This record gives sequence, C-alpha cells and structure tokens, in this order.
Amino acid sequence: MDVALLIARRVVTSLATLLMVSAIIFAMVELLPGDAASRILGREATPENLQVLRERLHLDRPALVRYGIWLGDIVQGDLGTSLINGRPVAEVLEPRITNTLQLSLYALLLYLPMTLIPAIVQALRRGKPTDHGLSVLNLMLLSIPDFLLAAIFLIVFVVWIPIFPAKSSVPQGASMLELIRALTLPACTIAVAMAAYAVRMLRDNLIEVLESDYVRMAELKGLTRLQVLIMHALPNALVPTLNVTALNLAYLIGSVVVVERLFAFPGFGSLLVDALQLRDVPMVEAMVLIASAVYIAANLLADIGTILLNPRLRRA
Amino acid sequence: MSPKPVLAVDDFGFAYRQGRAWLEILHRVSFAIAPSEVLGLVGESGCGKSSIAYSLLGYRRANGATQSGTISLDGADLLALDRPALDRLRGRVVAMVPQNPATALNPARRVGAQVREVLTRHGMIRSRPEADRRCAELFSLVGLPEPGTIGRRYPHQLSGGQQQRVCIAMALAGEPKLLVLDEPTTGLDVTTQKQIVYLLRRLVATSDMAMLYVTHDLALLAQIADRVGVMYAGHLVEIGPTNEVLIRPAHPYTRGLLAALPDIRTGAQPMTELKGLLRRQDIPVGCPLYPRCPIAVPSCADNPQPLRPIATAHEVACQEYKGATATQAAMPQRSIPPARPTVTDTSPLVELRNLQLGYGAAVGLHRLLRSTPIQVIRQIDLVLNRGEVFALVGESGSGKSTIARSLAGLLAPLSGTIVFEGKPLPRSISRRTPDLRRRIQYIFQNPDESLNPRQTIFKILAQPLIRFFGRSGGALAPEIEQALRDVNLDPDYARRYPGQLSGGERQRVAIARALIAKPDLLICDEVLSALDVSVQASVLELLRDLQRRRGLALLFISHDLAVVRSLADRVGVLFKGELVTCDATEAVFRPPFHPYTQRLLDAVPDLHAAERRAAG
Amino acid sequence: MSNRDLGSIARGIAGHWHGAPGSYRVGAIIMLLHFLLGLFGPLLAPYGYAAMGTSLPMEGFSWRHVLGTDALGRDVLSRVMYGAPTVLTLAFSGTALGFAIGTSLGLLCGYLQNWFDELVQRLCEALISIPFLVLALMAISAVGPELAGKPILIVLVVALVYAPRTARLARSAALEIVTRDFVTAAKLRGDPAWRVAWQELLPNATGPLFVEFSLRAGYAPVLVGALGFLGFGLHPPTPEWGLMISENRSLMFVAPLSVLGPGAFLASLVVGLNLFTEGLARMLGRSDVVVRA
Repeated sequence: MDVALLIARRVVTSLATLLMVSAIIFAMVELLPGDAASRILGREATPENLQVLRERLHLDRPALVRYGIWLGDIVQGDLGTSLINGRPVAEVLEPRITNTLQLSLYALLLYLPMTLIPAIVQALRRGKPTDHGLSVLNLMLLSIPDFLLAAIFLIVFVVWIPIFPAKSSVPQGASMLELIRALTLPACTIAVAMAAYAVRMLRDNLIEVLESDYVRMAELKGLTRLQVLIMHALPNALVPTLNVTALNLAYLIGSVVVVERLFAFPGFGSLLVDALQLRDVPMVEAMVLIASAVYIAANLLADIGTILLNPRLRRA
Repeated sequence: MSPKPVLAVDDFGFAYRQGRAWLEILHRVSFAIAPSEVLGLVGESGCGKSSIAYSLLGYRRANGATQSGTISLDGADLLALDRPALDRLRGRVVAMVPQNPATALNPARRVGAQVREVLTRHGMIRSRPEADRRCAELFSLVGLPEPGTIGRRYPHQLSGGQQQRVCIAMALAGEPKLLVLDEPTTGLDVTTQKQIVYLLRRLVATSDMAMLYVTHDLALLAQIADRVGVMYAGHLVEIGPTNEVLIRPAHPYTRGLLAALPDIRTGAQPMTELKGLLRRQDIPVGCPLYPRCPIAVPSCADNPQPLRPIATAHEVACQEYKGATATQAAMPQRSIPPARPTVTDTSPLVELRNLQLGYGAAVGLHRLLRSTPIQVIRQIDLVLNRGEVFALVGESGSGKSTIARSLAGLLAPLSGTIVFEGKPLPRSISRRTPDLRRRIQYIFQNPDESLNPRQTIFKILAQPLIRFFGRSGGALAPEIEQALRDVNLDPDYARRYPGQLSGGERQRVAIARALIAKPDLLICDEVLSALDVSVQASVLELLRDLQRRRGLALLFISHDLAVVRSLADRVGVLFKGELVTCDATEAVFRPPFHPYTQRLLDAVPDLHAAERRAAG
Repeated sequence: MSNRDLGSIARGIAGHWHGAPGSYRVGAIIMLLHFLLGLFGPLLAPYGYAAMGTSLPMEGFSWRHVLGTDALGRDVLSRVMYGAPTVLTLAFSGTALGFAIGTSLGLLCGYLQNWFDELVQRLCEALISIPFLVLALMAISAVGPELAGKPILIVLVVALVYAPRTARLARSAALEIVTRDFVTAAKLRGDPAWRVAWQELLPNATGPLFVEFSLRAGYAPVLVGALGFLGFGLHPPTPEWGLMISENRSLMFVAPLSVLGPGAFLASLVVGLNLFTEGLARMLGRSDVVVRA
C-alpha cells in the first residue's frame, strides 16, 4: 500500500485517539454524578460561590453542549481561564512548559547513552556474567521509585558530597552553567528512571535481531562478528529502538510530575499537581490534554519512522 | 583411484544439554564426499540430518558438545578451528543453502548487497564495478530474470523460488568446494522445486563442487544424488549409490520408508512395515530401530550396529541383513487397487454453484481506507456426491483451502451459492443450525495446532458429543472410548494431553473428533502434509478404511498427487482459482493430460529416475 | 489415595523450585518475607504507628529506634511495619481488579475482532495515552473530597490504570492463539464467544498472563507510593510508605533514615516482585536453549 496513505491513516487514528482522550478527560472531570460545583469547591463553599462557579462552567447546560464548547475553545487556541487566579491558562502554562522542556531535553540527552551502551554491551555478551551483572543492576534501579531515587540523589549529592543545589529553581538570566548545575539532579533522576526500562526492552530487541535467521546466515557466509553487527544487526534494531523510546515518553511525563515536586522545580508537572489539588478545572483539563497530546504525538512519530524505515513498503 | 575427499566425517558424535541430561543428536556418524559428488542425506524428523549440515559449517549450538570423532574439511580439522579461522572457511570453502530463504535474507537490505558482501569479505574482487559484474553473472547462472538489475530488489519483492535462487547465488559466490543444502525446496511448489533441482544438477555437472543434500524426500534424491545416506535417530543406517539404495534397499528402515510412499505411476497403495513410532526413551544400546523393526531379534538390542559393506560402496548397519538374495533384495510387489466403480446414481451431497471467493471484503467505514478485496476463486462449479472421495489438488495459492473454508462456513462467498442436500447453505457458520454444523466436519492440516494443548483427549472428544448430541456425564465415556478404538488408538489415551502424543496420534484424535459427530461430509485439508512419511501411510490407510465403512463423503485437499491417486474417486485440479480438470481419478491420471496436469505430474520426483540415469 | 496426591504435589513443587532460575527463587523469597511482614508487622512493631513522642524527634539510628524517629517523635520502624499490610493490600487488590477486567475484555476482543473490539480498543488506547500517573491523579481529584483518602479509591484507580494495559496484552495473546486451528474447531462447533474465551483462549494464555500480572503487581507499590508521595493517597497519620517519604522529605538532610527507611522497604518489595517476574518470564517464555557463547 502506498506509504503516504499509510501515514495518513496513522495520523487520522492519532487524532481520533486524541479526541477520545479529550472526551474521557472531560467526562472524568466534569461529568461524574453528583454536583460538580461542590465537588470542586469542597465542603466549605458558600452558596454564592457555588452559583458563580456553576455559571462559569455552564453547569446548567447539557453535558454534550459543555463538551462541545470546551472542545471548540481548545481548537481555536483558547485554553480557558484558571479558576484560581483568573489568568488565561495559556499564559500561566508558557513559562512552565519552557522550563519542563529544558529539563526534559537535558534528561533525554543523558538517557540516550545510558540506554544504548548497556543494551548493546548486554546483547553482545548475552548469557555471560557481564550480562547477568548488568541485568541485576538494571533491576535494582528499576525497582527504586523515582521519588526515592531523587531523595537518594539529594542526600548523596547535596549533603554528603555537596556539588549540586537542593532546589532546582533558577532565576531568570542565570548563566548556562548555573542552569546545568541546577537541573542536573532532576534530569539524572528522570534519565535513570527511563533508561532502566529502556535498556531491558532494547536488550531484548537486539537479542532477537542477533538470533534471527538472517544474522545466522550472515555468520555462515563467513562475515566476522563486527561485520555482522554493523551491516545486519544494528540497522534492523533501529526500529525497535525508536518504539522503545516513544513508549518511554509515558514514563518521562509521569516522572516529571514527581521529580519536579521533589526538587521544587517550577515546571509543568508541579503546576499540574497544584491544579489537581486545588481542583482548578480548566487548568487540569488543558494540562492533561496537552500531556496526552505529547504522548500521542511521540508515538505517532515513532510509527511514522517505522513505516518509513520498513523496506517492505517500497514500491514493489 | 578415487580423489582425495573434500569432506571426511569420521565417527562424529554430537549431543546437547537439556536441563541436566545430555540428548544425543548424532551417534558416531562416518561418511566422506569426493569432489563433484552429490551425497543425499535422508531421514525423518529428529534423525539429525540438519544437525550434520550445520556441523559441517562449524556452527555450534549454544549448549551442545562434540562427543566423539572429527570432521575434516579440505584437510582442515573443523572442530578445532577458532572463530576467525571458521569465518575464513565459511562461504569460501563450504557454503550453505538454507531451508527457509525468506528468513535467511535480511529483509532490510537489497539482495545484490547480500551477495556482494560474500565477495568482498573473502577478498575475491577489487572494486565495486567488478563486484556488480560478478553478482550479475551469478544471478544469471542461477536463472534469475534480469540478472543485471534484480540485485536492487529487496527480498520481499521476490517470489519464494527467486529468493532461493538468490541464496544459491550467495552460496556459490565464494566458489566453495562443498555446498551444503538443508532441505532447500521445502515450502516451494512442486514445479518450482523441479526447476531448482534442475539448476543444481547443472551446477554439479559444470564444476567440481561437491554437494551434501539433506532432505526428507526420497524421490527427490533420485533426481540429483550420486549416493544416498539414510539416517535414523542420529545413526547413519545405510549408505550407498542412489539406485542401489532406492531400488534394492538393504536396511529395514530404508525398506520401510520406501514402502510407505504411494506410487504415482501405478496408484499402488503405501504399506506400513514399521510398527509404532520413534520414541527416544525406547532406543536401546544396540540398533535404534529395534523397537519398530519387522525383522529384529533380541540380540539387535544389545549389539551396536556399525556400517558393514555389502556391495561396492554400499554399506548397511544391520546384523540381520542376509545378503542380496532374490526374494529380499527388490521391494515387494504392492497391490494396485481395483479400478474404482464409476459412481453412478448417487445423489449429490454438495454443489458449488457459480462460486466466487476472496479475502478482504471490507464493510462500512473501512471500505474508505482499505484496499480492494483479493479474489482467490474466480468462478467455480462443483458437485460432490454422497459417499465419494473427491480430491482437490493444486499448488499453493490455487485456492483449494479457500474452497474448504467457505464450505465450512468460515468465509462468506463474494457471490454464488453452496447447496447442501438440495438446500442453500447459510454462508457463515453462525447462521447455520447445529445439525448442519454437525454434518460437515473439518480436519486441519497441522495436528500440533488443531487440538487444545490444555485439554485432555477426553475433553476434546467430549465437546462434539455435548454440543451436538446433548450428552453429558456418564454417557460420554463409552462413546469416547469407542471413538478412540475406531481410529486404532488405545482408549487409555483419553486421559492424556495432546503434548504426550506423537504427530500421527494427534491427527488420529483429530479424525476421531470429526467422526464422533457422525458427519455426512468430511473436509480433509492437507491432513497428511505435516506428518512424517512413515506415519502418513498409516493415517491414510485409516482414512480410507473409515470412509469405506461409513460411506462418508470426503473432500480431500492435497498437493500430493501420489496420495491423491491412491485414494480419490474423482479429482479436481485447481489452477489460479479455476478448475481446469474435474474427472474420475483414472481419467485424470491417464493420457491425454490437460497441460497443467501434465506439468504437475512432470514435477513429481520419480523414484526410478536414478535407475534410468544409470542405465543410460 | 490422598496421600499419594499430596506427595506428588509436594514433589511437583520441589521439582518446580529446582528448575527455576535464581532470580525467581530470590524474588519469591523476598516476596514471602514481605508477605510475612504484612501479616505480622503490626503485631511485632515495638511502638504504635501514631505514638508520638516515643523519643526525641528527628533522631537517627539507635538501638531503640532502628530507623530513628520522625518530626513528631514517632518510631519510623514501627510505622513502616504497620504500613506493610496497607501497601500489599492496595497494590495487589488494585492489580487483581484491573487484571480481571482487562483480561476478560482483552480476550473477548481478540477473539471477536468486530465492532466491539474496535470500540474497546479505541477506549483502551485513549486511556493508555494519558500518562498513567496523570490519569490516576486526575481520577482521584475528580472523584471529589468525600472519597478522598479512602483505600477503595486507590484500589479503583490502580485498576483503572492497569485494566487497559492488561486488555491490550490479553488481546494480543488472544490474537496469536486464535490463529490456531483448535479455536477454529470450536467456532465450527458453534461455541459462543464467552465460552471460547474461557475454555480455549484463557488456558493457553496463562504464560503471558502470569507474567503480565506479575509485572503490574511489581509496579503497583510504586504507583501507590507515588500517589501517597504527592498527597493523593491515604491521609495521615496512616503509615503508608509513599506518604511517609513525602512527610519526612524536609527531614532528609537531618534524619535521612526517616526517608531511606520506608524507601528501602518499598524498593525491596519491588525488587522482589521484579525478580520474581523476571524469573517467571524466563521459565515460561524463553525456550530451553540458554544462549551462551
């Protein structure tokens, strides 16, 4: 089938999923049985406040209409207004997203070598003590929840060996070095948490490639181990790597939430937690939608990459 | 004066570790291959023939170990070489043509590149243009179309036969002295197989390359091998010139194998000489065939059986071999079934009228995004009478399985009707009444997949009884036991799980499951193809017997013409979705032949080809 | 007769144990220890979990307080021991519920492959597209203040996060099994869908399903802990480990044990579960050829 058509189909599916996500978010936040207004404002709410909120959220209108209004606004770029401080959601989000992007990028840069190197080493030395040792280490790291990992990093690198600051918020106009210094611990935490999962998946994928019939055939043709690895194994492992990374985005976003809290980093994740605790409905809806959109987009890109790299789709 | 052999395997034994125990794969195998010689190795599953093939390339299974002996390849001691030395040898001195070319080729690289890398790696060319030229030469040599440009294609863009030719070209690129072929034509059509074999014969005739050809198909070796070695349970039990071994076999196992082959030339039925089946735990210290051998005596179990010469270059590992007396040497005459009475005056059971079948007919929204349906059967009209055996033959892709599935209700026709006993049959299985479902039963090809591995045989056989006859509780056991007896299985088997049965036994259970519903029509979809040759004969005999006794109508789907000739009353030949011939068996198999039938018949390997070649 | 059965069962288990890889065994032992801790922890704890002022607050290690005390002078070790059954119950019930729902849906979908399948698949995909922690937080927040802090909420939320993922796995397992002819044979008999899912698909999918359950159960304590850490889990003074880590965060530099203590227990539980899963996967999934050299 035509590559362009395949990609188009994939994009359509992603959009459909995003739409469904928006419906789920809306349903969960606003449509649960019971009075939404008192749920949001809590037990101490005065009747006047409840009434004001009901009007703000159009609670008198039927559900589908409310959903339609909200969706329509979003598509046009209006993310709503915060219930807590009255400012437009987009305005509040912008600096936070920027911060989190910086943190995420840094984390990704650390994550790549942290994943690739052990995975390749383990796949090449599969079954040997090196492989087993690294697997055990990997399992340990995997089992430590990221908030605990962050705590350990803090204790080790702030108290015992004071290299890094305890808080990771950095004032405007700080130098690059200071920025890096502030972000390193949280980025490392995220990177390690992601890498722990990715290494396992990548190792398994690499081994599957290394044990395939065509790699065996290549060995039987007399190619040396290195030639087999470079010409046959690694290229075919590229696609699984892409998929593994995309899958890990889910952990990234989850990690970000926890890590930002622990390091007092003013990013997207900590804002989300605050918004959820305060039940700032428009903020929550917009942020969860954005988080999901990022995940969906990452998977879409990985799938497109897979399609493009698949030779079976070249014109027959 | 025979030239120095390219390959000398001496007393080679190999085992691999499974848990704590060692499983012996090869037991003290010895043979040699001279330049320009083709040695065929034949045996059934588990005999170790593939293991030998891979050992000749120095390929070691992870948890395997050499138990004894040496392998000498072009003077080098193969088992003592380290990886770099093996790398130099592989592809250059010895090369392999694999069983499955589709998976042996890297799907992400063009085929030309994969052939060129052999040339580059072994330093046989100096520049890219030279490599391209040599590659085109090789492609031309193996008969690929457009040899200059086909190298730019990816493996999935080639047919199965073309992929295999690429693998052969890849193997020849290094100009090896020994070519090892591991069942290279399994999975290819009969006609394609014939072409590949022809190609290989040409290659042997025009160079001094030696060949080891591993296969389970005896008749195939008659086309190509100079000598044949027969393997059983890791032992080499007989080895000798092809026409000797195939026409005057000495070892009881070889004789049993040959007897189990139906004869396409005469329609003679296969005979079962070997009792039971191969069970590793029953193999004694002496001869491995002892539990199944028709001429065994007690001392066979205790004495190891080495290969002993009985004629020029013909050796056999059997102490009971009494020499080439007239009565024992040639294979016994086999009964040719009487000409089948032409079935007259029976009412049609099933009629296919104007049937068109295909896949991928999409419904609803998906029609916008899906591709057009693939039409498999263009237009077919067929009548199947009560109590008759109708065989549907054709190569892969001809649509025979599609017809079967449509008849069973698994595939709705694109157009046309299926009529059962005069009434139109509902298209999908969910619309049919339980009674209708009962009367048409289906037996699948692969016995490993058609029985639920988590249910006991009892439970498996109980299902149709419960569903179709409403039986329950105590009434089940006696019927199930009878059903097992009907297929010549011990009723005790009811307590076992499918995993504890052999392939042939499982297929019998599948047959029992179908018969227990007391159907009118039995659809047999390639029911013998997944079984070993010696087992095929007994299952075929069983089917024939049951069909006759119960007056069942059989729709027998197969690609094996020899089996079809010995079983069917009428035959329909399918080619690319159309019925090109449909007639009584004898009419189909006697001249004048329809051109496609002719092609099919020609492609079937003839056991006596070697004899004819030797005679001149 | 029954003696023989018992004997053979015992031998079966012993054989099973012998054949298991090291990771499985170590993992199983750790799990067993945690299970015992969960059963007997509250009984063996030296102090009550809410007993304030047992000692000076924010003390480090001492023989009376092995893990020190927290800001309110409570013995950390006792709180950890009291918290053990909580973690185990929440994690396992949530996983079990999610697993049950997900498996039934997934197997059915894999067999039917019709509009029902499409619908459920889209729904699952959408649920999976919301990063799981975010989904859990949102669900807890959305439910409102009455249910907040109740254990049942946590169980439901864990089930909500896990059900779609398990459904996806069950579906792909079903897809593979459906191609096997014995399923076709059941279809030809006219067996209804639920029956096919129950009799033909489920027994043949036990391998990947066991591994999936084990895997999810391994992460569940972390999820529960994360919820507690962020303040969305159970309310104080419940000695839930994640909550404890959050509460004692500010003491981290003064009394690190108050954080590392519950952390170590949580991590060891997860390590045990993961090792067990790893060993299980190896026993069930891989072939018996252990790749070496």
